[in-house]
Amino acid sequence: MTLADYMIVSALLFLIGVFGALTRRNIIGILMSIELMFNAANLNLAAFDRFLHPEGLVGQTVAIFTMTVAAAEIVVGLALLLAIYRNTDTVYVEDFHLLKG
Amino acid sequence: MIEYAYLIPLIPVAASLIILFGAKEDPHSPLPWIGIGAMALCLALSISILWGFVGGGVALPYEKNWDWFSFATTIGGHSFVWPMQIGVLIDPPAAVMLFVVTLVSLMVQLYSISYMHDDARYKRYFGFVSFFTAAMLGLVVSSNLLVGFACWELMGLTSYLLIGFWFERPGPCEAQKKAFMTTKLGDSGLYLALVLLYVKTGTFQLSQIHTSFAHGLIMPAAATVAAFGILFGAMGKSAQAPLMIWLPDAMEGPTPGSALIHAATMVAAGILVVSKLYFVFLAAPMAMEAAAWIGLITAFMAAAMALVTVDIKRVLAFSTVSQLGFMMCALGCGGFTAGLFHLTTHAFFKALLFLGAGSVIHSVHTNDMRQMGGLSRRMLITFATMAVAVLAISGVPPFAGFYSKDMILVAAWNHEKAIFWPLLLTALMTAFYMTRLLVLTFLGDDRDHERFHHAHESPSLITVPLIVLAIFSTFAGFAINHNDLAARLFPKPTLAASAEPLKTEEANAAQPSNAAVSEKLADPESEKGDKELPSWLTWGIPGFFVPAAMLLAFFMYRGPKFELADGIKSTFSPIATLLDRRWYLDDAFLALVAFCDQVAALAYWIDVNVVDRVFVDGWGLLMRIIAEISSFFDNAFVDSTVDGVGGLATDLGVGLRSLVQDGQAQEYLMYAGIAFALAATLMLTL
Repeated sequence: MTLADYMIVSALLFLIGVFGALTRRNIIGILMSIELMFNAANLNLAAFDRFLHPEGLVGQTVAIFTMTVAAAEIVVGLALLLAIYRNTDTVYVEDFHLLKG
Repeated sequence: MIEYAYLIPLIPVAASLIILFGAKEDPHSPLPWIGIGAMALCLALSISILWGFVGGGVALPYEKNWDWFSFATTIGGHSFVWPMQIGVLIDPPAAVMLFVVTLVSLMVQLYSISYMHDDARYKRYFGFVSFFTAAMLGLVVSSNLLVGFACWELMGLTSYLLIGFWFERPGPCEAQKKAFMTTKLGDSGLYLALVLLYVKTGTFQLSQIHTSFAHGLIMPAAATVAAFGILFGAMGKSAQAPLMIWLPDAMEGPTPGSALIHAATMVAAGILVVSKLYFVFLAAPMAMEAAAWIGLITAFMAAAMALVTVDIKRVLAFSTVSQLGFMMCALGCGGFTAGLFHLTTHAFFKALLFLGAGSVIHSVHTNDMRQMGGLSRRMLITFATMAVAVLAISGVPPFAGFYSKDMILVAAWNHEKAIFWPLLLTALMTAFYMTRLLVLTFLGDDRDHERFHHAHESPSLITVPLIVLAIFSTFAGFAINHNDLAARLFPKPTLAASAEPLKTEEANAAQPSNAAVSEKLADPESEKGDKELPSWLTWGIPGFFVPAAMLLAFFMYRGPKFELADGIKSTFSPIATLLDRRWYLDDAFLALVAFCDQVAALAYWIDVNVVDRVFVDGWGLLMRIIAEISSFFDNAFVDSTVDGVGGLATDLGVGLRSLVQDGQAQEYLMYAGIAFALAATLMLTL
């Protein structure tokens, strides 16, 4: 396993996340896709740490931090989602277009 | 005593202020005696200076200056503090003038005590006279030309006040205005000349200006312009042709005031200023020549007018103009000494003539000589003193006028024969008309019995000044001519300093040629100075021509009827009319004024109808049309461009907004992703 393999997996993971975020109608799906992109980034961090600075743990520590922050973020996202759902009775993202110019 | 010379003008000023403002008007006010006392004091000071100089105890010129004020200026990038000084400069001619002015003024004031005794503005008259004299004395002693000019103008003011002293009557009012305006016309020239001298030399101090000229620092062109300006000022003040029109009319003032104006103050000032700035004329031969010819023309024209005048004061006025012409001519011919000598002697006998005429007028209450006659039987002292004055002005030896006039004629002879002969003729005309005056007034029969019977000799306050002046008119000429005193009293200024370094340079360069050069430099002067009149003229003028002219006048005007005179007059009636109308000079000036009036009216019409209509209004109209076009262009093109750009931006924005901003978060994200992808591609590829 080389760094490139990790990078390819990470890139695929990120693209899947992007594709999901752009195409899913359900907001929950979008949040999940965002989690995928987070994990792609975390995978990168861990891989770079392992291959470029094997003697340190900084990259892995940052990955752990990111996961924590992502968990907190998803809590806020789900809370918003609940508020939206209660107000509009829908979880489909195309039904919200309050920002339409 | 000379260190108190600065007091000479200040004492009469103080006296005049006390007289004018010290008390209420009162026909018997004692205040005039303050003026007389002040003048006596000044006379004493002047005598001490003059006597000291003649005796050798006082060295002249004496100059003393005080700082007056200073101002900063920048010339060519350098800053200077420029001092203006005020002070006295007494050279020998100034010393003589001080004596003459104070003496004549004192005599005039004594005389006026009696002459003006019942006038309503008795006190004011003496205030004016004191102030007038003070202004003249200020001009005489001032070392600063600016102060001198101020005095000169103050004299113009006081002459205005004195000529119009009886301002209730229309005549004096007109005369004072005429005198003031005519002299002001001349003053403008003098002022410009002074400004030019200041610009060229950077100082108003007479001696420093002289030094500048002596070192040849002044361009001949500038000197010529300045000299003509000075000459023009003198023409106004000293009544030279053609600005002489004011002096005959100035007779409207009180007679003693006229005496002062004619003898010592006003008209002498012009000659005096020319003599003070004579070095300017030496540097400008053209102006010298002009002065000579103007003097000659003035002398002749005035003498010719005097031949036919019947008003006794006017005859004297014309004779003054004529004698001033003599002086100006002498100065122009290079006869500096002669000119100032004549100024001095003339002051004595002209004051005497006016005071005598005043005495006669006082007695017979008319100015018209045709209504006089035979008055010698009634007014012996007046007659005798007047006769002395007439002999003096006619140039009969040994009276004063003979010496000075002879000197003038010699100067004219040496300068230019074409000036000498008319001048001699004028001198003979002087003898003729003065004798005519004397004969018409005092000799022959009493033509107006009424007036004759009321005539009486004047009181002693009038006759004593006459006698004093008669003594001076008799002896002043001889005294000054004696032992070459005239040359000491009136030394001709030179530009010698400019010749000095030239000579030394020559001496250093080539020793042998030095003598030749200096001889060449000295020769014309000495040759000119030595040349005398031909002996037949030297003896013939006083011995034959002048007595002949006087006798002719005597026989023509002796009898009760003047057949010969009337015959000549009717034979040459055009000339007589010409002289009666005073050469039409007044008419010429009036025509000039009328012409200027017409020109002004035309200019006004042009201004209103052409300049205002065409240029001002037309310009406005043109501007309006241009503005309209510009406005149309602005509205049609510029504004629509501005609006179009704005509208385009709006349309673009609205279109883009409805196209892009649909509120779909995923589309926004897509745009962000596309942008990121593009940016990343760019960063990686470039």
